Amino acid sequence: MTALSVSLGRRTLARPGLLFGAGFLLLLTLLALAAPWLAPHDPNEQDLLNVLLPPLWATGGSLDYPLGTDALGQCVLSRLLYGARVVVIIMAIAPLGAALIGCLLALLGGYFGGWLDWLVERFVDLWLSFPAVLLALILMVALSPGVQNVILAIVFVDWARFCRVLRAEVLLLRRRSYVAASRIGGAGALGIIWRDILPGLLPTLIVLMAMEFSIAVVAESVLSFAGMSAAPQVPTWGGMIADGMGSLYSSPYPLLLPVFCMILTVLAATFLGQGLREAVDVRLLERAGAA
Amino acid sequence: MNLSSLAFSPVAEQFLAEPEWLLEADGLSVVGGPAEAPSAVLSDLSFRLAAGRTLGLVGESGAGKSMIGRVLARQLPAGFRVGGGQLRFAGEDLLSLPAERHRQSLGSRIAFIPQEPMGALNPVLTIGRQLIEHLQRLGTPAAACRERAIELLEQVCLPRPATLLGHYPFELSGGMCQRVMIAMAFAGRPQLVVSDEATTALDVSSQAHIVRLLRELQEQYATAVLFVTHDMGLATHACDDVLVLYAGQIMESGPAKSLFRRTLHPYTRALREAIPALEGPLLPLRALAGQMPGVESFAQIKGCRFAGRCEQATQVCHDGVAPLESVGPQHQVRCWNLAAASERQAQPEATAHEPGRAMSAQQSLVAKGLSKTWPGRRQGFRRAPGVAALKPLDLSIAPGEFIGIVGESGSGKSTLARLIMGLERQSTGVISLNGEMLGDSRDDWTRRIASIQMIFQDATAALNPRWRIGRLLTQSMLSQPRLHSERQARAAELAADVGLAASTLKRYPSQLSGGQRQRVNIGRSLCDTPQILVADEIVSGLDVSVQAQVMNLLLELRRQHKISLLLISHDLGVVRYLCSRVLVLHQGELVEQGETERVLAHPQHPYTRALIAAVPSLDPDAQWPPAAFPQMDVTP
Repeated sequence: MTALSVSLGRRTLARPGLLFGAGFLLLLTLLALAAPWLAPHDPNEQDLLNVLLPPLWATGGSLDYPLGTDALGQCVLSRLLYGARVVVIIMAIAPLGAALIGCLLALLGGYFGGWLDWLVERFVDLWLSFPAVLLALILMVALSPGVQNVILAIVFVDWARFCRVLRAEVLLLRRRSYVAASRIGGAGALGIIWRDILPGLLPTLIVLMAMEFSIAVVAESVLSFAGMSAAPQVPTWGGMIADGMGSLYSSPYPLLLPVFCMILTVLAATFLGQGLREAVDVRLLERAGAA
Repeated sequence: MNLSSLAFSPVAEQFLAEPEWLLEADGLSVVGGPAEAPSAVLSDLSFRLAAGRTLGLVGESGAGKSMIGRVLARQLPAGFRVGGGQLRFAGEDLLSLPAERHRQSLGSRIAFIPQEPMGALNPVLTIGRQLIEHLQRLGTPAAACRERAIELLEQVCLPRPATLLGHYPFELSGGMCQRVMIAMAFAGRPQLVVSDEATTALDVSSQAHIVRLLRELQEQYATAVLFVTHDMGLATHACDDVLVLYAGQIMESGPAKSLFRRTLHPYTRALREAIPALEGPLLPLRALAGQMPGVESFAQIKGCRFAGRCEQATQVCHDGVAPLESVGPQHQVRCWNLAAASERQAQPEATAHEPGRAMSAQQSLVAKGLSKTWPGRRQGFRRAPGVAALKPLDLSIAPGEFIGIVGESGSGKSTLARLIMGLERQSTGVISLNGEMLGDSRDDWTRRIASIQMIFQDATAALNPRWRIGRLLTQSMLSQPRLHSERQARAAELAADVGLAASTLKRYPSQLSGGQRQRVNIGRSLCDTPQILVADEIVSGLDVSVQAQVMNLLLELRRQHKISLLLISHDLGVVRYLCSRVLVLHQGELVEQGETERVLAHPQHPYTRALIAAVPSLDPDAQWPPAAFPQMDVTP
């Protein structure tokens, strides 16, 4: 028996990329949750006698600081673990928020058309004409530092991308014969959006969300690199990179380790999105042995 | 030196081996599937094609017709490979030719005409750019390209070729695009042209023009043509010789006219009997039960691949494959029971067939002065004048009445269907249902969709790909929460009504065949037992045997539920078989209407006459395409 009887779960398990992506992000979440217990030191505790220690495997590394210390003698491992908390929170909430706003406006404009569509489109045009990073920075200056404000800034900047792409998809889906078939089957506008349009949007939405995971991680890092992310005492990966810049030539590890973590996270998010899209999209189920 | 000693010298051997054959296949087979259990998609195929002749490959979808073209182009789908046999082109072994030489011969010596001309032309490049690019690849000097391109377009009878070069494909009709493709195919004076369903996507009149054009070019350049088609009528007239394929095996082969005059194989005959004729007595169609086995089951079939659906199959048919036996001049048949087969031909058909007539004098739906005008494009602050898709027409449907609406693409047929259904709003006119006017209110819409249902043209597009069949069939119960508990039972009932196995209810549309999807589509429209069905080209995409099944199903539903049908179709045979009344639309205007038999036998309007003449007749002795034939498709 081929794809015919294979359930969603089985289809998911059959994709190594998806397993890697989901596995890594799950691990990251667990590490972030367990940070207070796992971290060997307080992330802000300074040990000025042991600054710029190399990690365990390099010569001169000590078991006390497994990933070494930075220029202020803070434990890199502990800071990475606490930094992951910010990353996980932002990854979990920011894409959802952006998708929610973008999707809602795309459905309103795309499905009902007319002046509503015109309004939504012009609004998106206006929004996309601002440089994204600049807009986020301005927003962060206007708001105050803090994780919830970072999320707000990312949502505010990125919903327009969702809206633009999804609206085009809604316009296509609305003209499908099966939507007309639902109409003459007695379905109302909400019913059609819920049962015909939204499921059709799902593959695109998932790809966009996965992209947004990566973008959110990077955007947060950019903001914290510029010192405008979470409160100053909260360790973030972007902040670690900024701190690591100063001691790049004497010890590259405080810079390289957070960069490496970011790359892995972005990669995992991409794999997860790609795999999910393939698993969810039943259109990709071929008729067994079609000639 | 005598002849027998000549035969051993290599030079003489070449002469004796009939060098006039341009394309020769000998025991060619194409296999797919896993290496340990391969199944032959084409098995033991042998044919010969001489220069200047046309060889037709006829069969239903899945028969392997297109595989031969793909072998020629070395474009077999992934997982398939040539399993054995030989394919010689002009004396060369085409299968072992080095890749570079093979590539060079494509386009210059072997050319292809595709099924979808619109899809084969690049939409963002002009016709001229694409033609000139092609000519340059064939080695025409750059300076001469434009002139040659104009010459080529003239050759395929396209008007104003010089201006046409600057047009984009979307500005041309399907028939015109296909002419451009033919011009491209003949640009390199190829020895062989493969036409894969080249006219299937076109209107009948365009089809007649294209076939005649192909013939003329073929005579001019002595080109051989491999003509792949599923249309038996077309094959009768467009081909010199014909191979009838079923599940990858040749079932019958021979000269087209004599083969169709005296079909011997049960499959060929069943195909012929499944096609509704345009002339002669109206007989019930004998639909071939079941469907062609899929590629994956080929390996398990030991005997004749048609045996599972054959009425005359005996044990011997299931045990082994019959050899191709000669039964006449070049006429070969692969069947164990030839004697029994020719006997059955003598049996006269019993009852006459009756199309769907009105069952009562009352009218269930009356439309008056119905028209649709699309608003023109906005030009600054003004609008261009609107485009009339449908000019005012009157229409009434009685219970049990099947009405056909015929016309070419762009004649407003589909617009009419959507107006009746209420998917578009009419520009003028009124529709009344059971004596009450249909307005815009919510109640009227509810009343409308309870009585009128539509079966969509493209069954694949009309079924939400993410829903299972059971849910799709009972889609209209979704908005009525009180009926939710009955959905499963109703789905099973509907599946039985339209002849779907209960196991299909759990599947997705992508896992069904085209015929099964169309049944789901029909079943869904029957869910609320409507009075009137509006069917837009519902059988045009189906194989003839499936088409006959679906048509008989519609007549059966009429007997059971007294439904009426508004059938939009370009196939006059289908309309004649199903409908008692016919309306002919031409460019949005109703040009003729009346009893189907009378309109078809004595057409009054010149357009109706041209439409009827353009249909390739099933009678091998008829003249087709007709000599005097009005031009219809060349105005852009």
